[in-house]
Amino acid sequence: MKTNFLGLSLKSPIIVAAGPWNRDGESIRRSLATGVGAVITETIVSDPIIDVKPRIAYDGLGAQNIRLFSDVQIEGWEREMDIAKSNGGVVIANVSAHTPSELAYLAVKMEKYGADGIELGLSTPMGVDLEVVASHPEEVYEMTRYVVENVKIPVMVKLSQNVTNLPRVAKAVQMAGGSAVSAINAIRCILGVNIQTMEPLLPTYGGYSGVPIKPLGLASVASIAQTVDIPICGIGGIDSYKNALEYIMLGASAVQVGTALMIKGRDCITQMVEDLDRWGEENNINNVKEIRGKALSKLKSFEEIKTDPLTCHVDNQIPCITDCNMCIEACMYGAVSRLEDGGIHIDPQKCTGCGLCTFLCEPKKLYLKW
Amino acid sequence: MNIKEIARRAGVSVATVSRVLNHPETVAPKTRQRILTLMEEMDYKPNWFARGLNFNKTDTIALLIPNIMNPAYVEVAEGVESVANQKGYTVLLGITEGEEKKERKYIQTLIDRHIDGVILVSSLLNNDDLNHMKQQGIAVVLIGENSDNSPEPIVRIDCCAAAYQAVQHLLNSEHKYIALIYGKAPAMENKRKIEGYKNALKEAGIALRTDFLIREENTIEGGYVATRKLLALKKPPRAIFTSSDLLAFGVIDALRDSELRIPEDVAVMGFDNIRMSSLMVPKLSTVAKPLHKMGLSGARLLLDVIESGRNGDMVMKEIILQSKLKIRKSCGHKERIKEIF
Repeated sequence: MKTNFLGLSLKSPIIVAAGPWNRDGESIRRSLATGVGAVITETIVSDPIIDVKPRIAYDGLGAQNIRLFSDVQIEGWEREMDIAKSNGGVVIANVSAHTPSELAYLAVKMEKYGADGIELGLSTPMGVDLEVVASHPEEVYEMTRYVVENVKIPVMVKLSQNVTNLPRVAKAVQMAGGSAVSAINAIRCILGVNIQTMEPLLPTYGGYSGVPIKPLGLASVASIAQTVDIPICGIGGIDSYKNALEYIMLGASAVQVGTALMIKGRDCITQMVEDLDRWGEENNINNVKEIRGKALSKLKSFEEIKTDPLTCHVDNQIPCITDCNMCIEACMYGAVSRLEDGGIHIDPQKCTGCGLCTFLCEPKKLYLKW
Repeated sequence: MNIKEIARRAGVSVATVSRVLNHPETVAPKTRQRILTLMEEMDYKPNWFARGLNFNKTDTIALLIPNIMNPAYVEVAEGVESVANQKGYTVLLGITEGEEKKERKYIQTLIDRHIDGVILVSSLLNNDDLNHMKQQGIAVVLIGENSDNSPEPIVRIDCCAAAYQAVQHLLNSEHKYIALIYGKAPAMENKRKIEGYKNALKEAGIALRTDFLIREENTIEGGYVATRKLLALKKPPRAIFTSSDLLAFGVIDALRDSELRIPEDVAVMGFDNIRMSSLMVPKLSTVAKPLHKMGLSGARLLLDVIESGRNGDMVMKEIILQSKLKIRKSCGHKERIKEIF
């Protein structure tokens, strides 16, 4: 499935996100070989520091990382970009800095070394400050504008969910001449505490990523899509082609995958690209633009939601899972009970149509209607 | 062993040997390999100085710093060297001791040696001096302003804003009697820090006390002496801000000798954030200046200028880097809203 993003024609809307899996030319070349539309370098800074150890924790759902930035100095990226692009492909450089001129310097260099686009990392949730740069629309505007004025290639800005009003920040990017926004960056977190040693799992705050942040990413992308006209690259918890489609249907022109690759390896990216192409063929969709924002148009404001007199109904032809009583236990209104023959009964007087049981029932024997 | 001898033994012209050294792609691979092998066997090394005369390029740059006893400049130098080295340049180091005359003398020597470019840290030279260098084909980059507001590429921080922020932090910690000890060098940067100090006081409605402004040598001893002067005042300060960490170390030493507690009796705030500042007791609160990054950026700009002669690329005129308050123990803060990392 093709897409047009950042003024580039990409063969797939799936992009490999910035991260240590794209730390040098060789690893970027391997990421490009998965068949993705583009690859984003690990974050490049002017003064790389040594990695801390350990720096990644995972709890089976999401990951916390305190991996900071690329340990290759900007000088070294001239060589790495040559290697990265030796088999062709679109490479976007992720650069991060504290001031507009420092940021622009890195962007200019990466443009010179052959980057097809720039992603500005203004929202790293670790090691910098409590308030990421991307909390302040004015600062985001200044930084974006300075970079846009100094390079000819397209510039996208990676935004954080750790702000009070994300669409306002996205607006600042658009006004500053940014070509796109990507959202969301990892979220400031502490993954957990080891209660035996009474220590946090990692020694400092880090960025939370992976499957659990997808709902936050979807909401962010949707609200940005409702605010700005520039293209959006959806990021956060994409684990399959279906998740990519969710982002696209809420307004994204492309998506980035990072944590899934980190946990499962590059093969899962190839799988996603192929699955998405297959889905496109089956549904006769060749280009992202044919489905982009389709779900967004069905997103209503709270006041617009109709109060249909829905209640829960049961299809007792579908058997329950043995010993499963989840719908009965979860019903806050006491409307669900078990019949003598083992079937499920809904008391229509008590059911308020909240819908929770329909999500809990794995065999899908419960449904809402009126 | 010289180039003529290599040419004779290889049975080629001197020009061919020269091309192997400078434009190897223009020599037939077989011939090139024969000449290279011969050079290795004969242990031939090109005369880089002569080569410099010929090509107007010596792959050598210079770094002039005011003082090597101040670790702040060592961090800058480390940054410069790291970039230069990666790009195949050698760095010559000169120490100006904050003297205009010595700095100018260095410049003449560097011109005579045909270096490719120079990085001037907190330079005392004026724009005529800089133009003179440029006319001699030497690229110039500044780290920290010179007194003439030079148009040459520069790496700097906003010293005025940084000092303002530091003093404001002391004011927010309910300090009213805040003195400033500043070094004689670096002159321009310290002038900006004084501005920042004055702005913060003015904004808080606190009258400037001239006896609270002390100028001393930018050394530990300077900080010690200045503190003794401040403590001898009828109404001594309750907080001392210094234009460098070295001065702050002297302040802490003097306060201890007077059996004053830090920060309970007198709070201390430095500037630079050199490594040792976090090892002091109490740990020094200071303005973190991105010293290493300033060195890296300075070298990058300089090499850009040198190479722009050949590739015609635009060179960025200015890189302003961010300084940041580093709140530790010596300034007696109570609130932690800003410091949560």
